[in-house]
Amino acid sequence: MRRIRIIIAAVVSLLCGASLGAQNLTDLKIGEVLVDNTEGVTDDYGQRNGWIELFNTSSGTVKFGGCYLSDDLSDLKKYHIPTSDLSTKIGPRQSVVFYTSGKSFQGTYHTNFQLRRGTTVYLVSNDGRTVIDRIDIPADLPADHSVVRVPQGVKGMDFETRVSAKPTPGTYNGDVDAKSKSEVMGEKDPHGFVLTLIAVSVVFTALIILAIIFGWIGKMSRRLQSPSPKEARPRKVKGSRKAGEMTPEIAAAISMALSRESGGEVQAAIALALHDYLGGGIHDLESLVITIVPSAGGGWADKTQTFRQSPR
Amino acid sequence: MNTIVENLRQFWFFTGFANATWQNFAMILIGVVFITIAIKKGWEPLLLVPIGFGMIIGNIPMFPGLNIGVYEDGSVLNTLYQGVKQGWYPPLIFLGIGAMTDFSALISQPRLLLIGAAAQTGIFGAYLLALALGFDPNQAGAIGIIGGADGPTAIFLSSKLAPDLMGAIAVSAYSYMALVPVIQRPIMLALTTKKERLMRMPAPRVVSQREKIVFPIVGFLLTAFIVPSGLPLLGMLFFGNLLKESGVTRRLAETARGPLIDVVTTLIGLTVGASTQADKFLTGASLKIFLLGLLSFVIATTVGVLFVKFWNLFLKGDRKINPLIGNAGVSAVPDSARVSEVVGREFDPGNHLLMHAMGPNVAGVIGSAVAAGILLGFLG
Repeated sequence: MRRIRIIIAAVVSLLCGASLGAQNLTDLKIGEVLVDNTEGVTDDYGQRNGWIELFNTSSGTVKFGGCYLSDDLSDLKKYHIPTSDLSTKIGPRQSVVFYTSGKSFQGTYHTNFQLRRGTTVYLVSNDGRTVIDRIDIPADLPADHSVVRVPQGVKGMDFETRVSAKPTPGTYNGDVDAKSKSEVMGEKDPHGFVLTLIAVSVVFTALIILAIIFGWIGKMSRRLQSPSPKEARPRKVKGSRKAGEMTPEIAAAISMALSRESGGEVQAAIALALHDYLGGGIHDLESLVITIVPSAGGGWADKTQTFRQSPR
Repeated sequence: MNTIVENLRQFWFFTGFANATWQNFAMILIGVVFITIAIKKGWEPLLLVPIGFGMIIGNIPMFPGLNIGVYEDGSVLNTLYQGVKQGWYPPLIFLGIGAMTDFSALISQPRLLLIGAAAQTGIFGAYLLALALGFDPNQAGAIGIIGGADGPTAIFLSSKLAPDLMGAIAVSAYSYMALVPVIQRPIMLALTTKKERLMRMPAPRVVSQREKIVFPIVGFLLTAFIVPSGLPLLGMLFFGNLLKESGVTRRLAETARGPLIDVVTTLIGLTVGASTQADKFLTGASLKIFLLGLLSFVIATTVGVLFVKFWNLFLKGDRKINPLIGNAGVSAVPDSARVSEVVGREFDPGNHLLMHAMGPNVAGVIGSAVAAGILLGFLG
């Protein structure tokens, strides 16, 4: 009973962890904001407004319905993003734009407040209290300039905040001219020697470490299994030959005899099984491999030979 | 009367005859050749029959827009093709491979892992050559993986790095896997002396069940930590093996190595074949890919055999390794190991190399998955 409880608890905590991971609002960031829009993007109504861009930093989709946007720390619930709108989700490394038109009746993506310079924009969790992210708008931010967070580093998970004269609402804030990994490799290593050297080294290193570990595990295993003197004695086979002695010859002779009757595949399989059996055996019982097992019964007439196999 | 003629004319435009090009017939012919080879010669029939028939399906000339082609969104073939395009099928096949692979030979002689590593140079040799022939680095990486002699890995990597070349890469990989006995034997004979071919190796030791259970767990942890990008392939391979060796999940292991792998192999073969539509497949790039694929197998086999010969310089007595198992580092399981056995017995009918060759053979599977992970990490 106790074991079942532990298993249930483990499963429940795993499921909880998974759901938290899939819906992690902390993966959201305010990617870019623009206050004074005179020449930039227009909304669905053809109007130019300031805007706030939300960016999903994760590799999974995040639903943000129920969260809040605000420019006032004393009123974090200023604009409630409707939960009923099915479009309120952001794909991996994607962004959405909210127009700060002050006319929330124009749709989900229109806030009920307008941005002002010198304020701070808050993205608040669906509990209405936890600030997920905030971004300060400079008091001297020029028109058509945005405050933008640009992904940095190899993973693109660190962000640098800067003022940009070229706003990019709804698109990736990184360098739009950024090159793919392949292009970078093509420039840095045009002949491929560096990648080859690294890759071959890594493959060898990984397999050498594996070989060392399994050499060591094998030694430990043999030590743990150290047989009693009686068990250590080699198994006798017909003709009082020691196990392993002459086994390849025996197996080969039998397989050659069989080759006249059947194809090479059958011959190889039977020879292998004989080789294993006579040599002490390295196979356990398994499908797709012929395994010869010494009889546990007393003799050919033993009743156990005619029993059905026990259900597993 | 006019209406009937007009309808017949319209019907004619919908038939394959009206839309056929010589390229369609060429690809259908190649498909028929694949099926013939598989049936007559018995070379990789489980793969070449579905791929060959898939080629025929994919090259039936059709009127575009009927939503039946493999590249038309929402068609049946397109839906099945998503497993290739999104990379679902290869890890599922690896699950089955893991559940059917006995790593005992490798666990009993872990040093043979190095042969599997050496043979992966075929991948990087082909990568270098592909770059020299003007392919982009990502395309070169996808082409190079043909040298891993592992169809699912080739499909997985090419679907990520160079989806446009996937058909040619997959067909090339499976074709050369079918031709492993033809390609490897002359190289093995050319690079070894008669004395080396007669070399006998001591029987591998007995491997305990405990070791067999520990292997997939430790093997996975180590390789996945070093190359996380190989996770889908390595994870499934070792998971499948754990199902087999744990002794308590017999039904799951049976399903993974039986019905599951059969279903996925059928679908992957058919859809990869169907993806080789003439207009996308009959290009100069495909010819180069076939040439590079052949060279990658040659390089992998050569380096595998030479590596063992070089290693033997430092080994003494019965620690020496028969160079005829060097070819088995090419991971075409179990064909390349079988080539070692057959060639070995040509010169000494009592010298069974199969179990020794299975070590580097399965090491090759791990090695090619690791190499794929590295290429994906650098070029993906």
